[in-house]
Amino acid sequence: MIKATTVDIPVSAGNEDHYRLRMGPQHPATHGVLRVDLDLDGETIMECEPHVGYLHRGFEKLAEHRTYVQNLVLTDRLDYIAAMANNVGYCEAVEKLLKIEVPLRAKYLRTMVCEMARISSHLLWLATHALDIGAMTVFLYCFREREELLELFAELCGARLTTTYTRLGGVRQDVTHSIMMKLVRFVDAFPANIEEYETLIDTNRIWLKRTVNVGTVSARDAVSLCLTGASLRGSGVDYDVRKHFPYAAYDLVDFEIPRGETGDTYARYRCRMEEMRQSNHILRQCIEQMPPGPIIGDDAPDLVMPNKPGRKVEVDTPARQGLIKLVEDRDIFMEGDVYVPTEVPKGELGFYFISDGNGSPYRMHIRSPSFIHIGALKTLAKGAMVADLIAIIGTLDVVLGECDR
Amino acid sequence: MIVKYKPKRNWLQTIFHTEILQGLALTLSKLFSPPITRQYPKEKPPIYPGFRGQHALVRDPQSGTAKCVACMRCAQICPSRCISIRYHQEEETSRRVMDSFNIEALRCVYCGYCVEVCPVNAITMTDIFEYASYDRESIYFDKEKLLSNWDDFMSSSTYDQSSYVNPFWRPRGLPESELTAAKRVPVPDDWRIENQFIGRKARSKKITGGE
Repeated sequence: MIKATTVDIPVSAGNEDHYRLRMGPQHPATHGVLRVDLDLDGETIMECEPHVGYLHRGFEKLAEHRTYVQNLVLTDRLDYIAAMANNVGYCEAVEKLLKIEVPLRAKYLRTMVCEMARISSHLLWLATHALDIGAMTVFLYCFREREELLELFAELCGARLTTTYTRLGGVRQDVTHSIMMKLVRFVDAFPANIEEYETLIDTNRIWLKRTVNVGTVSARDAVSLCLTGASLRGSGVDYDVRKHFPYAAYDLVDFEIPRGETGDTYARYRCRMEEMRQSNHILRQCIEQMPPGPIIGDDAPDLVMPNKPGRKVEVDTPARQGLIKLVEDRDIFMEGDVYVPTEVPKGELGFYFISDGNGSPYRMHIRSPSFIHIGALKTLAKGAMVADLIAIIGTLDVVLGECDR
Repeated sequence: MIVKYKPKRNWLQTIFHTEILQGLALTLSKLFSPPITRQYPKEKPPIYPGFRGQHALVRDPQSGTAKCVACMRCAQICPSRCISIRYHQEEETSRRVMDSFNIEALRCVYCGYCVEVCPVNAITMTDIFEYASYDRESIYFDKEKLLSNWDDFMSSSTYDQSSYVNPFWRPRGLPESELTAAKRVPVPDDWRIENQFIGRKARSKKITGGE
């Protein structure tokens, strides 16, 4: 059972059954620094009040003082377990704002790393969710596969988690034959691994007791709570940004969107397991269809972007100034605003930019799925048991780095 | 696609706990498979070229000092603004000479932009990642420390100083015409754009399309 971190004095005299329980922010089952204030009647949750902001780093403000290229490293630290997907989402948005074309190979590479990030994020979700509920072995098996993917990231771009892989107008590094051979091996072996996880928990009666009919949310409620990703699809709503507003090369690959019917924790679990299979399928297609060509577009801006229009980049070096062409006659600084959604493992990640014509955004807003999912916690946890709250936090798949940003 | 849901158990399975036994059989079979744990301090993880580790300034074998030309591009690109450079201009040749080069590694986010924008391959990120310290001063790198980082890296690794090149100096898949003269260094074959990985289906399409 859950150990309380702090117990307050009972709320009012004559109402001894009611008391307040503070869960977190150091509670391991809250997946980071989430604090939840609970009003309990016995063990039933009467009121649940999530408190966020313990990991606030002010990314949206920081972004106003840095160029578009520099802001890319901030997105690594949003959802730090699927940094690749954030990188892609950020670059898709900036490219739409600056009207930069991406070559086909870069699009395929982006799709590929996005799906790798999705698998590694879902593996971590399954591992921690199962650990919270009490299944230890799944945790170990999931980390075995996740390690392989992280090592592929390290070989591809030099870092396991803070990848900074994409570029405005393309990607940073091309894949090598050795990376692709390892990926092929992973893709071939992975469906058997999913079966292993399913053997352990799929029909396990403890798992079913803890997940079936826990945290049920109807399709109508899920839409009105702005849930996205697998949390929404578990309720049977057919919405996936990859399918409905395709970006990168998602319109060139074939995949299906799994959705559940009942909208409980078990349905969301099934959805994510199916999503991993679909991601694996997309990875296989990306490997097979990987086209030749450049990895970065011709009109990609220089890394050293000026952050004021008209301010020249210092040119005091031999030969050309940099790696990537600085297209000086082209007006790279657009005015206006743009919102681009992308499907990250957690749900719909949107970047909203307002640009006043400078080299850095006037305002950057991040629509992070975790923040909105924590907002739904209040509705989902009402009437549930304290132990079920752990399952509900796990099933919403929140990452506090993205929530507090 | 609607996912399958709620597998039904019959009474026999309920009594004999078959699903639990299946799980236990799986874990038991793993008892006989080789361990995958990496015994970290004794056993190091694999490091690939282009790892973003400790910073270093490349020691030029000819002059014996740093290659840096004080163009300030790295200080300008740094998202966490952890690089500070001082330089003076020589009177007769009007060349810039770097006086001090400081990297505050505690602020660094290890994005590798500084390595990539450097036009003369003067700065690099090494494979060394175990340099945690009990004081802040030793992680505040000045020019001498950065040069000695390079010497340490070269002596501890199997790389040859004359042929060392990392993917940030010359990103894989970037044509040579995009690079500065100093960056057109010889690279392994599979870094070249001509030898890039092409998918099976794309290759067959290309061959049939060409014919």
